[in-house]
Amino acid sequence: MVIANQTDYRKQIYDVIKGNVSSIENEWIETKLKGGKTAILTAFVATPRFISKSEIKTDSNLNIQNWSLDQLVRIFFLLSFQSQNKEEYCKSIDLLFETAEINEYVALISALSYLPYPEYWQLRATDAVRSNIGPVLNAIAFNNTYPKDHFTELAWNQLVLKCIFNDKPIKEIIGLEERSNYNLAQSISNLAHERWAAGRNITPQAWRLVRNFVDESIFRDLEKLLKSDNKNDNLAAALVSLDSKNPNALELLKNHAELVQEIKQKNISWAVID
Amino acid sequence: MCIKHPEFSQNPSHFEGGAESQANAKIIETDYMEYIRGMKFFDPHIHMTSRTTDDYTALAEAGVVAIIEPAFWLGQPRTGLATFKDYYSSLVGWERFRSSQFGIKHYCTIGLNSREANNEALAEQVMEILPLFLYKEGVVGVGEIGFDDQTVAEEKYYRAQLELSREANLPVQVHTPHRDKKKGTELSMSIALEHKIAPDMVIIDHNNEETVESVLNQGFWAAFTIYPFTKMGNERMVEIVKKYGSDRIMVNSAADWGISDPLAVPKTAALMKIKGISDEDIQKVTYQNAIDAFGKSGQIQVSDFENPAEIDQSLKFNGNTVLRGGQAPKIDKNSLIIS
Repeated sequence: MVIANQTDYRKQIYDVIKGNVSSIENEWIETKLKGGKTAILTAFVATPRFISKSEIKTDSNLNIQNWSLDQLVRIFFLLSFQSQNKEEYCKSIDLLFETAEINEYVALISALSYLPYPEYWQLRATDAVRSNIGPVLNAIAFNNTYPKDHFTELAWNQLVLKCIFNDKPIKEIIGLEERSNYNLAQSISNLAHERWAAGRNITPQAWRLVRNFVDESIFRDLEKLLKSDNKNDNLAAALVSLDSKNPNALELLKNHAELVQEIKQKNISWAVID
Repeated sequence: MCIKHPEFSQNPSHFEGGAESQANAKIIETDYMEYIRGMKFFDPHIHMTSRTTDDYTALAEAGVVAIIEPAFWLGQPRTGLATFKDYYSSLVGWERFRSSQFGIKHYCTIGLNSREANNEALAEQVMEILPLFLYKEGVVGVGEIGFDDQTVAEEKYYRAQLELSREANLPVQVHTPHRDKKKGTELSMSIALEHKIAPDMVIIDHNNEETVESVLNQGFWAAFTIYPFTKMGNERMVEIVKKYGSDRIMVNSAADWGISDPLAVPKTAALMKIKGISDEDIQKVTYQNAIDAFGKSGQIQVSDFENPAEIDQSLKFNGNTVLRGGQAPKIDKNSLIIS
């Protein structure tokens, strides 16, 4: 089975690759493509031995600006491997996962959205969230549509919380606002309480995910944030209050008129809060 | 009640020599870093899977910038293929990442060790998955393979893996046995030559005074493991470099789950310095020769560890890993307060 999305993506990647490879590299890729299943899967593994690690130059709108050429070629091979038989297909890709070195693992996770049978890869995706290998977690968390489209609420919340816990830039999670939910807001508030008890903080950015779920407990968090020495905590609390449409929160802002003024004057949004 | 077995009594340490040795040992234990300041080291044989994060910190502080972790026997026999597969995966995955957290470039060699080659039913299955790992990035050889008890099965899988190394054009890291070492070393070399493996593609490991001459004369690389009690002491190592020079000789720690010293390479460099061996020779046996030998795999880019400024900080510190919740990567071990 081939999904249209996959075919388009594969073609766009191929175009970028062609604009970046040397003639020798291109020849190697073409030869491998003509081979069968084993040739393509072996090429996926062997790519860095034949393709340079140079950074890609492209003006395409694919989100691959920071990728190295070998990683892109790897993904291209992965998408070039097809099978009419689901069992055979999944078995082959599973073997790649089970024997993956770090960069291969990152390539596999980055391409999950474009593989056939998306539901089949759930466990691989949630295992990547569980991974303690930084680049692997980054590959599922950032610039990847798979979690937004396929994660249960529990898995989604785990992903976002783990990123907050590890001070990772949650801004780069696709679907962050869209999939915000009450349970996640509660967990963020609880995490903040734990950190405060230990004399630590959470990233002010995390509070954007509570704005539709301001209850009594989170209201008290906002009060505390407005008193914080960290300017970004104050701004985050003000932004949440403005967005929340919670009458108590809006009332609270009356004591912080200068903050509201600053937000309006400087056009401050979540994009600039770290 | 237990009868004290002679095997359990401790062998004398290699530092327990004459008065001069004792004095040197003291210097090396306390001030050796002074002698090697600014030097870089490459330990081509160390089993980090069996070591702690404290060891990684100590390695980085002592100037070890890159290491090779050979696949080996974990201390008890594996019972199935899946545990072999997971072990090999960890060498190219988790352990590689763990090492990167301390700014140390981690390579590995992949192979079926000699002890477990004796379980033929399992060995057959392991041979089938080895090619899946040999072509991975950062795999710099087939290893460690060779003889332990020098059985028929060990020879069979040694030969089979030599063939794999030739197909993959990878160096071979050869473990030589503790018992009947000289015979085992000669046998390992003659079989490699029989399989038409070029001697400069073979690193013969765990050498001593008895084996080194033949290894060098036949054109192989000679590695020396500085390991308390059972292998080489580093004072003996100094004498070997004095006698044979620094060509095709390298030292390693082979630190593992036994009483071993992960800092064996920098400490030996310090001792060489104290004993008047030239900086150039020290650099060759504790750094450059290992790079030249295993670099024949095409998998070693010295720029990856020679320019520490290029270490990816996000990879190093932003990971969620052994360093949790924004912890600083170093701890002050003398501090009573843990924050």
